[in-house]
Amino acid sequence: MSAIQTALGLVFQPTVLVTIFLAALFGLVVGAIPGLTATMAIALLVPVTFFMDPVPAVGAMVTCSAMAIFAGDIPGTLLRIPGTPASAAYSDEAYMMTRNGEGEIALGANLLFSVIGGLFGTVVLILAAPVLAEVALQFSSFEYFWLALLGLTCAVFIGTGSPVKGLVSLFIGLFVATIGLNNPAGVPRFTFGSTELTGGVNFIAAMIGLFAVSEVFRFAISHSVQAGPQAVMGNLFRGWGRMMVQYWPQQLRGNVLGTIIGALPGAGADIAAWVSYAISKKMSRTPEKYGKGHVEGIIESTSSNNAALAGAWVPALVFGIPGDSITAIVIGVLYLKNMNPGPMIFLNNPQYIYAVFIIFILANLVMLPLGWAAIKGARTILRIPREILMPCILMFCIVGAFAVNNSAFGVAVMLVFGVLGFLMEENDIPVAPCILGIVLGPTLEENFVTSMIKSDGSYLAFFERPIAGALGVATLLVWLVPVLLMALRSRKAAAPRQG
Amino acid sequence: MRINDAVTGAVLLAFAIAMFAYARTLPAIPGQEYGAAVFPMLIATGLAGCGVVMIASGRRRWQGAVAWNDWARTHHAWVRLAVVIALVLAYILAAPILGFVPMSIVILLVFLLMMGVRWWIAAAVAFAATILIQQTFAGLLRVPLPLGLLGP
Repeated sequence: MSAIQTALGLVFQPTVLVTIFLAALFGLVVGAIPGLTATMAIALLVPVTFFMDPVPAVGAMVTCSAMAIFAGDIPGTLLRIPGTPASAAYSDEAYMMTRNGEGEIALGANLLFSVIGGLFGTVVLILAAPVLAEVALQFSSFEYFWLALLGLTCAVFIGTGSPVKGLVSLFIGLFVATIGLNNPAGVPRFTFGSTELTGGVNFIAAMIGLFAVSEVFRFAISHSVQAGPQAVMGNLFRGWGRMMVQYWPQQLRGNVLGTIIGALPGAGADIAAWVSYAISKKMSRTPEKYGKGHVEGIIESTSSNNAALAGAWVPALVFGIPGDSITAIVIGVLYLKNMNPGPMIFLNNPQYIYAVFIIFILANLVMLPLGWAAIKGARTILRIPREILMPCILMFCIVGAFAVNNSAFGVAVMLVFGVLGFLMEENDIPVAPCILGIVLGPTLEENFVTSMIKSDGSYLAFFERPIAGALGVATLLVWLVPVLLMALRSRKAAAPRQG
Repeated sequence: MRINDAVTGAVLLAFAIAMFAYARTLPAIPGQEYGAAVFPMLIATGLAGCGVVMIASGRRRWQGAVAWNDWARTHHAWVRLAVVIALVLAYILAAPILGFVPMSIVILLVFLLMMGVRWWIAAAVAFAATILIQQTFAGLLRVPLPLGLLGP
């Protein structure tokens, strides 16, 4: 009980609450502006949280990401431009509702079910994380190796359109993680005599480059005309009771599926929303209404993407394996703050874990009033001219990358990764596996090399312990199933020609 | 600007070979078989595999080394992209000498004017944003932003 009290004391401090409030506003604005993603919001926030204590830092990131994922629905509904990729699954549907004059119902549903989804995911996080942590205490390097590999595997195979391009991104990230002295042997690798590189490529600078600077580049080359949104005049709370009663199965399904997909290492809110929308349509009694402005699918997928956010924290806190790119960034920050995620933190510093839980609840509750305000102020937010915003963001990125080590080297790293991220996105190579690779690379290598030394080079030892064996088989299945399916399909395609 | 997969694949393959060759030179931990070299060599092997697959798939859909989509055909877009990159480079090179405040104002002004913002708005935004960032990072967070000309 005392740990919970300590946690309450840690969270309910004026500075922490103000930080959370400001982060919420920041997340809402960034999420609502098309072209600025939730991940970008976190990337811009990290240089600031770098100077904070662990609890306000984590609080700011949790609140900011939850708000940004919800706020992405606002331009999706009003302009048919999703504010974040997680809203893309249903922005057509929501925009149709706006055109049918039901914009306030769509936005109201987005707000209500985002909150409920977020709270559901939080409850699962609170219940599941400590239990899993007990199990994780018995893990050895074999289990951690497989967990890290499973996370990276899912990121490549589930999160991307083309597994090969996902793998390329992952290998680039893993390569970046090998640079420097930070390896089991303590040998400088790929530093080529540079003293700056011996400390490794700074993760924060790289992430700002990949997620924020690349976006600035993309803006510089595009010359899109900003459309003026319609205002939402009606009552946002209209139909809340009816929707909750009528669509409770959809909502529950969205919550559960979102939490599970979020908890899967490597798949996050974006995928949760797409899967939930598809399932909602498939299971619906009126699938013909989908795409014509029907609220059912929106409810299920907007519940799902916010539930996924909390779900992603389960593997992140318990194993230190990120569930998506946002938690990958958070894990990187936790390491910097000596708050290393893993089962030990549940034993040694449970007050931090409880603090995270409390912040999650707070963040989702504060979403109701702030979200309402954001919807009402949507016209103003969406009118912020991007040609003024983007140069300021670039300057902010430069200072943020500089602040990490107080050296211009961080800015250079940021620029390199900005160009890399831009080129990757132009060629449909996803960026998320790369950031997961950078974060998980050291964990993967350390546990791999330790395991190999322990087992004297025998690969069989990786399957000898029961949990390690199960994780190993699961990982291999994710690798093999797509290959088998492809082989089957090509055989089927070849069969008629033979006959 | 879509670079054909075969070209990307070839670049990746060459990079992977160089990486593998370099990793082989890394010293082993005495008495241990698995040291600093194992992991980079595995990554290089994986990357090389991806490179080969991409070369194969890119050759099947070959339409020239680079397919130019809308933005890449326009001269303006390239200039703007180059200017933004040059602005960041300019900061890296010149900020230690000139200091944060002048560099920030210049970078913001150039970028804003390039995007077609009216000059007086651009000037106001450049000054305001610079002061805001300076106050937040140097004042509140105690980041030693380069003083340059304004320094002692």
